[in-house]
Amino acid sequence: MIGLEVHVQMTETGTKLFCDCRSNYRGMEPNTNVCPVCLGLPGALPVPRRRPLVFATALSMLMVCETPPAMIFTRKHYFYPDLPKDYQITQYQGGGGAPVCLGGRARYYDPDTDEWREVRIRRINVEEDPGRTEYEGSITSSEAAYVDYNRSGVPLVEVVTEPELRSPRDARRFVEYLLLMMEYIGATNPRLEGAFRVDANISVRGGERVEVKNIGSTVDLERAIKYELFRQEKLISQGGAVERETRGWDPARRLTKPQRSKETEEEYLYFPEPDIPPISMKELVIEAAPLTLRDPAKYMDVITARGIPRRQAWSIVLYRPALSLYLKSLDKGADPLLAARMIAVDLKGLLKKLNADLYGASSWPSPDVIAGLTRLVRSGDYSYDEIKYNSLPKLALNPSASLSDVLPPRSNNIEDAVEVVIARERKAVSDFINGKPEALDYLVGSVLKMRRGYAVDPKLVRKVLLSRLTGAQDGHSNGGDGADSTANSRS
Amino acid sequence: MRRATASAVLEGIFSGSLSPEEHVMEIYDNIKKWEPKVKGFITLLDEEAVLRRAKEVESLLKDGKRPPLAGLVVAVKDNISTKFAPTTAGSRMLSGYVPPFNATTVERLLAAGAIIIGKTNMDEFAMGSTTELSAFWPTHNPWDLERVPGGSSGGSAAVLAYGGADLALGSDTGGSVRLPAAYTATVGLKPTYGLVSRYGLIPYANSLEQISPMARSVKDVAMLLDVVSGHDPFDATTLNAGPTRTSSVAPEDPSKLSICVPHEMIDGSDPPVRSTILKLLDRLEAEGVKVSYDASLPSAPDALPVYYTIALAEAASNLARYDGKLYPFVVLRPNYTETVTSTRSEGFGREVKRRILLGVMALSEGYRDEFYVAAAKGRRIIRDEVLGMTKKCIIAGAVSPAPPPRLGERISDPLKLYALDVYTVIANLAGVPSLAVPAGFYDGLPLGVQFMASPLEEGKLMALGQLVEDVTGLRGVMA
Repeated sequence: MIGLEVHVQMTETGTKLFCDCRSNYRGMEPNTNVCPVCLGLPGALPVPRRRPLVFATALSMLMVCETPPAMIFTRKHYFYPDLPKDYQITQYQGGGGAPVCLGGRARYYDPDTDEWREVRIRRINVEEDPGRTEYEGSITSSEAAYVDYNRSGVPLVEVVTEPELRSPRDARRFVEYLLLMMEYIGATNPRLEGAFRVDANISVRGGERVEVKNIGSTVDLERAIKYELFRQEKLISQGGAVERETRGWDPARRLTKPQRSKETEEEYLYFPEPDIPPISMKELVIEAAPLTLRDPAKYMDVITARGIPRRQAWSIVLYRPALSLYLKSLDKGADPLLAARMIAVDLKGLLKKLNADLYGASSWPSPDVIAGLTRLVRSGDYSYDEIKYNSLPKLALNPSASLSDVLPPRSNNIEDAVEVVIARERKAVSDFINGKPEALDYLVGSVLKMRRGYAVDPKLVRKVLLSRLTGAQDGHSNGGDGADSTANSRS
Repeated sequence: MRRATASAVLEGIFSGSLSPEEHVMEIYDNIKKWEPKVKGFITLLDEEAVLRRAKEVESLLKDGKRPPLAGLVVAVKDNISTKFAPTTAGSRMLSGYVPPFNATTVERLLAAGAIIIGKTNMDEFAMGSTTELSAFWPTHNPWDLERVPGGSSGGSAAVLAYGGADLALGSDTGGSVRLPAAYTATVGLKPTYGLVSRYGLIPYANSLEQISPMARSVKDVAMLLDVVSGHDPFDATTLNAGPTRTSSVAPEDPSKLSICVPHEMIDGSDPPVRSTILKLLDRLEAEGVKVSYDASLPSAPDALPVYYTIALAEAASNLARYDGKLYPFVVLRPNYTETVTSTRSEGFGREVKRRILLGVMALSEGYRDEFYVAAAKGRRIIRDEVLGMTKKCIIAGAVSPAPPPRLGERISDPLKLYALDVYTVIANLAGVPSLAVPAGFYDGLPLGVQFMASPLEEGKLMALGQLVEDVTGLRGVMA
């Protein structure tokens, strides 16, 4: 059985949870993103900022949570150098506290099986992040511990699941989807270093529950659980016992290590934070309601309703700019199926090859171009492959290009190609003259092949070939002026 | 020269007959005479800086400005943060700590033209009722130097009582302003919870305490309250209300005032306390005030254990942060845990450690329901009883069950010490305003009376308080 506690920083709130220092501290000199409040100086008081509470409420609503009438913050006490007050302001169910979510269920998509899954949520709480302790080299060899409080007070949501995730991959999919929701509501940029941490509770039949702490990526989460399941099953098969303990994930060596045994149960002295009055949920729910419209699942539904396969829809939803491009191109009249295929499959593949930032809006073309391209394919002016091989690579390299910049040029001198083909394919020419009309098809194909890289209309080629061949039969040499004018009539 | 009330000083300053600088020099004369015996200040600000400030206020007056506390000298309890002076909360643990910010109340004092003269002595982290538990020295009562001035804001009260300041800020968690007021014949008001910002108050028990005005007259207390009260965006527990206007309330027609005296608020007090208060109430009745003795707060006997359980739980939490990492006082040891342990062993006094241990126990798994959760329930019951009564009448009672004790008389036995708060903690549990005013003297020792009203009825208390002053004649008395 696998249960998770996922801590996600709300990096995009602008401010910390209880003061106006910045929520995104990255790139700042140590201890420059601090004030009396987040340093916990005596007499400085926490005043909750609205945005983190609204984001947490939106997440709770997306997870179909039961919410309390009012959220009540709680103090959780433990001595640690990077915890300035030696207590953390969090939310706790019981002891007079009330977390933003008292239980719910989260739906998440599994692209491997192309299924929606569900896991019950035990609790969501809002809390402050502690600072960071750094060492020179390792914790054991370092002369000193250096504490940086820039992170202290950054708003977090902690999402606790029931222990019902089925596999390491399943756990990973849930977290990926949770991060996507946080990104969609605008709370978090999950790609920032340290933007989330996962603790996994893992147990196998016949053993106690083991908590693996501090897993920093979704890939590591899958690895850590896999390792831990293997370790526990092996231990039991060898006749050993899995004791209740806390272990840490070592991402470099890819294994879990014992941290502390749980014989001494923690004593956190929970009690309601007296500096923060209860915060009514009623107004928060109203404020958060517009954010819940930005549910990735809803967008999946919008896309699949147009007949697009779910996996392809997922590929679009996975990247916010791709989704935005897709929806806007539909507004501009794009064909839904063709646009999905362009964006989710071919353009995305090209961008990946170029190592472009798929999360950056500037990596993607404008909706007008996508709409224009799908229209041209739809009308039969171009084949999808012509666009795929000619236009999309250009767009991937230069996303700001216009439709005319990327459309493959029409060849306006098919005659040259026709001359070459007639000179080269003597047998086919004589076959045609000798009354084998199917030889013309072969000749048309040869011309098209020669003109690869340009868009060439097969009907036009046939016409030019025909007039040239019948002319040759009559002994006329034709410059093809008529063909020129026809070729240009298509733009 | 000693001036009876801040209002009188302000009149002199506004009329031009007294300059702030002259006034500060008068205050320094009083301090030089009394301070060596009383020891009310932990820190006296640099005299030159204080005089500079006086000149600054003077130039404001010359520009035609009339800030409401222009030139008044204020003493500030040493648990209220000042970035221009060390703020120790009476503890060794915070010796050398100069906060990087001013409390909101201090900012408002400065904006009102007040001159802050020093930081006053107090029981360590406000844990005590006599000011004997200061980590530095005990403060003596100017009315009888053998006796305590009450606590924990004993420094502020003692300084007022000898004329070392016109006004003072204290803090009242369970009577810490009213008890010293009663012991020194001064006036103290514990405001409605949330009326005055706690931003910058070094916390003892957050849900109970308020920074509280102290002075030698009710009017002066009202003036000070009007300056420091009102919503503060830096304190989420402040009420959404502007500053009070209690100093301009018109005197109330006595027949419109109604007082109840629940027997629990006076039973168990020493005979002199009891008789002085009853005599005063008789005289108020003669003035036309309705006084009823047919009243009861049946849960009042639970107030003391309920109060101490909640206060100590919050205190244990608030004091966790003093572990040697962010504040100057540290006892370095080879590792983190030992450093924390040694710092706390040496930095905290005995009573503080006792209260931390009791508070930790009240919150511990297995005890929390029996202690903290039960106390929170008891608190709601007491609050409802008090609010029910203050809707109908002003509650009157004793401030302290006894006249000011001698130094050393109470601190040997913590239960005897805690018992001094038996009448005062009720207002803190209920969140209602409570005013302590002089009721009379017994054997040369000051005795006080306490009045409680509904939340935000400070104006009503001021009106009654001024009537009491008229009856007793104890307005602006000094030792």
